[in-house]
Amino acid sequence: MTFYDNRLKQVPTGLRKVLYLNWQLVVLIVAVASVGILMLYSIAGGDFDIWARRQAQVFAAGLVLMFAVAFVPIWFWRSMAVAAYLLAFALLIFVEFKGKIGMGAQRWIDFGVIQFQPSEMMKFTLVMVLAAYYDWLDNKRVSRPLWVLMPVLLTVLPTILVLMQPNLGTSLMLLLGGATVMFAAGVSLWYFVAVASLAGGAIAGVFLTRGTPWQFLHDYQYRRIDTFLDPTADPLGAGYNIIQAKIALGSGGWSGKGFMQGTQSRLNFLPEKHTDFIFTTLAEEFGFVGAFSLLVLYALIIGFCLVSALQNRDRFSSLLIIGVAANFFFYIAVNLSMVMGMAPVVGVPLPLLSYGGSAMLVILVGFGLVQSAHVHRPR
Amino acid sequence: MRTPLRPLTRILLARQRGENPDLIERENLDRRHEVLREKTQVRASARLGLLALAFGCAYVTIGVRMGHLAASVPVEPVASARGAEIVAQRADIVDREGRILATNMTTHALYAHPKDMVDPKGTAKKLAEIFPDLDAAALERRFTDGRSFVWVRKVLSPEQMQLVHEIGDPGLLFGPREMRLYPNGTLAAHVLGGYSFGAEGVHSAEVIGTAGVEKAMDARLRDPAEGGEPLELSLDLSVQATVEEVLAGGIAMMNAKGGTAILMDVHTGEVLAMASAPTFDPNDRPTPLVDKNAEPADSPLFNRGVQGVYELGSTFKIFAVAQAMELGLVNPNTMVDANAPMTWGKHKIKEFEGHNYGPLLSVSDVIAKSSNVGTAHIALMVGPLRQQAFLKSLGFFEPTPLELIEAPGAKPLIPKRWPEIVTITTSYGHGMSASPMHLAAAYTAIANGGIYIKPTLLKQTGPAKGVRVMSEKVAAESRKMLRRVVTDGTASYGEVEGYEVAGKTGTADKPKKSGGYYKNKVINTFASMFPASAPRYVLIVTLDEPINTLGSIPRRTAGWTAVPVAAEMIRRVAPLLGLRPKVELANQPTLTAAKN
Repeated sequence: MTFYDNRLKQVPTGLRKVLYLNWQLVVLIVAVASVGILMLYSIAGGDFDIWARRQAQVFAAGLVLMFAVAFVPIWFWRSMAVAAYLLAFALLIFVEFKGKIGMGAQRWIDFGVIQFQPSEMMKFTLVMVLAAYYDWLDNKRVSRPLWVLMPVLLTVLPTILVLMQPNLGTSLMLLLGGATVMFAAGVSLWYFVAVASLAGGAIAGVFLTRGTPWQFLHDYQYRRIDTFLDPTADPLGAGYNIIQAKIALGSGGWSGKGFMQGTQSRLNFLPEKHTDFIFTTLAEEFGFVGAFSLLVLYALIIGFCLVSALQNRDRFSSLLIIGVAANFFFYIAVNLSMVMGMAPVVGVPLPLLSYGGSAMLVILVGFGLVQSAHVHRPR
Repeated sequence: MRTPLRPLTRILLARQRGENPDLIERENLDRRHEVLREKTQVRASARLGLLALAFGCAYVTIGVRMGHLAASVPVEPVASARGAEIVAQRADIVDREGRILATNMTTHALYAHPKDMVDPKGTAKKLAEIFPDLDAAALERRFTDGRSFVWVRKVLSPEQMQLVHEIGDPGLLFGPREMRLYPNGTLAAHVLGGYSFGAEGVHSAEVIGTAGVEKAMDARLRDPAEGGEPLELSLDLSVQATVEEVLAGGIAMMNAKGGTAILMDVHTGEVLAMASAPTFDPNDRPTPLVDKNAEPADSPLFNRGVQGVYELGSTFKIFAVAQAMELGLVNPNTMVDANAPMTWGKHKIKEFEGHNYGPLLSVSDVIAKSSNVGTAHIALMVGPLRQQAFLKSLGFFEPTPLELIEAPGAKPLIPKRWPEIVTITTSYGHGMSASPMHLAAAYTAIANGGIYIKPTLLKQTGPAKGVRVMSEKVAAESRKMLRRVVTDGTASYGEVEGYEVAGKTGTADKPKKSGGYYKNKVINTFASMFPASAPRYVLIVTLDEPINTLGSIPRRTAGWTAVPVAAEMIRRVAPLLGLRPKVELANQPTLTAAKN
């Protein structure tokens, strides 16, 4: 009996697993989701039926799903990683040709009862396959070019497919998620430095040659980038959401206007107020105190994940947890920067808060994997 | 220090003891793995730490930004509010003295939300009583067919609004609405043009110009950068009113179909008055004629001064004479052949009513008596090319640059080829057509001492810079001849005591639509300037199909129709313009001191 088998013996079995769940994480998740349902109730003007009811139902279903995933041993998930990834990849290609078009982008598969975005599924399957890859890979080879190329392809191919839908937000999430797992797996820092400087150089090149005869892009393309980077230049078009959101945040002040008292969102100044821009309602009604509290809740969720990853001596589990947590973090960071006008609007929901079934389920499945890794960690 | 997997000493010792040496290798491999695992663990923790640090930094940035935003006072971007550009007021239009010609008024529009209506049927009936042109049945149908929004009326008077209020149905709603008001009614209607509503919303509507200055200067009037500064026109309201009044009276007296009068300042190019009859009320602009066969001039919307492109007749003669003098070919006393009829190829050039002023006539008399033959001979001396160049320099080959939307479309009609017979006919104003505005601008050059300046409808601050087209001497000689036309020529009714009127009459046959000319339909023009010794104003009066029936026989020449109307205009307008009548002392009985 090896050292490893010995450690595995102490993993709980059957219903005892309930006791070994990461219950702090569960409580935090339920708390954040409750805030989201509360906000949806408020945005609908005190109507539970418009968004809040469905959101609550999806959350309940998602919670059950999370526990189901958590009870399945992590080694089963590891063995499923490649298959799941390939399935998600195939579905991505499928929607490229046959998908349903929603909001100007082709990204849905209609299963009748539930509509489903393969790009969402790709978010956790990508993390799974990368974690499995580094678990399998001999540690000495992690930074060898050929062995770096493999995970890069695994990340970039689905990113390109999602970008073609077009869905800038999700493709950005995939790229950042994949990079984080590679970083955590210990790929040499020089690769990251090289990619970052290359990207920086390319961007600088594009912009420094602007106005010269050998510029890379057409003038109108530059102007489009300008509005993308500085939406306030186009207050009735691209910048409308952001300006209204900033007004909502500013008018919330320190303590907010009070529950159900927000005007900016309720008076329909804000489109997407119940999805990507839900944070503005929270900030308007509960002010800086409320918004900061939410930020703390999110930080705690990520913190518990990172601690769990640190304690976990199984490489696959550890990397998986980091990947899920990083994805979660990037969602929050990009969404909040976007809402507060620090980043361009790319269409990334606020996890557990924004209205939307697909995103909610994916996040909860992700946390199910985290729980599974936590419960079945070698002791 | 890397431990070897199979250290020789230990293996030998183990063999001596009879143990399996593979176990030693296994043990060392495990140990090595353990070390490796430790190393990986350390590295993973370090990476995790870095990651946590990066997340933390991003988090702090977001938190700080959040605090910053929460502390900021929200500012609504004013310019971005939807509809702001519609609300922006259209600038007023004023005359040269600042008197209002066009302004804005806030009224209300009436619309309905049928879903909120208590009694659609009764409301429709009552609305039809207030607005007789609405049909109660149709209104009721629109209120009840399930639509959620119905426009009832775009503009309401205050009385109508009060009556609608009294219906008291909650489904009837009012929206504020800027509308254009022309407080002087028909005054200067053709210059102002009119307005209509552009983009319409419940709370406001865009006012856009549809004709005249309103359309030509639409961008200026709507430009928020002008800050609502009124647009100052060159028109003088009181002069304009007088000119319109006299023109209307003259048209009635001379039984004309219509007419136009243009008064222009010869130094600045400003148009002080521009009237066209029949006229209309820009507050209630009539619809354009739809009948394709109708003459455009039959519509009251037709601005004869700018759009009325006709042959201008004998008024053109002075240009041939002035050019010949400028070229040194003739002087006022040169005798020219005036034997009528003159034969040129297969054409015969006759004088009016078969006169013959020949055999010889002085140049000055050619103008005074309006001799076609004399002018023809002078024009032949000048020649076609020089004639064209001169007429071009007087602006006859281009549309007038007036600030009216109609101006660019009113192109002069110029003969395609220019053989000598065209030179002859053009010299007495036949064969080429231009608008009265063209004529006014060209006469300005003679009046101000030889400088062509562009006419304008906008108030100017000083004399305009123009192009010299003839010497001052030639201009002065031409004016003397034009003065003789009034004192002892065809325009004797043009004399206004004290104002030294000079001018030239013109009578042109009206062209048929099918080609050729009408026998007894004419357009009479009197192009005048005053005071002749140092002219300050040019006045053009044109009457369409006038017949003077005041005398024993009906007369259709300009001297009997347009000239007396112009004289009356000058008599009334000159004091308004601040012109002091010049008492010609030579004709006055003088007093001598009696010697006692």
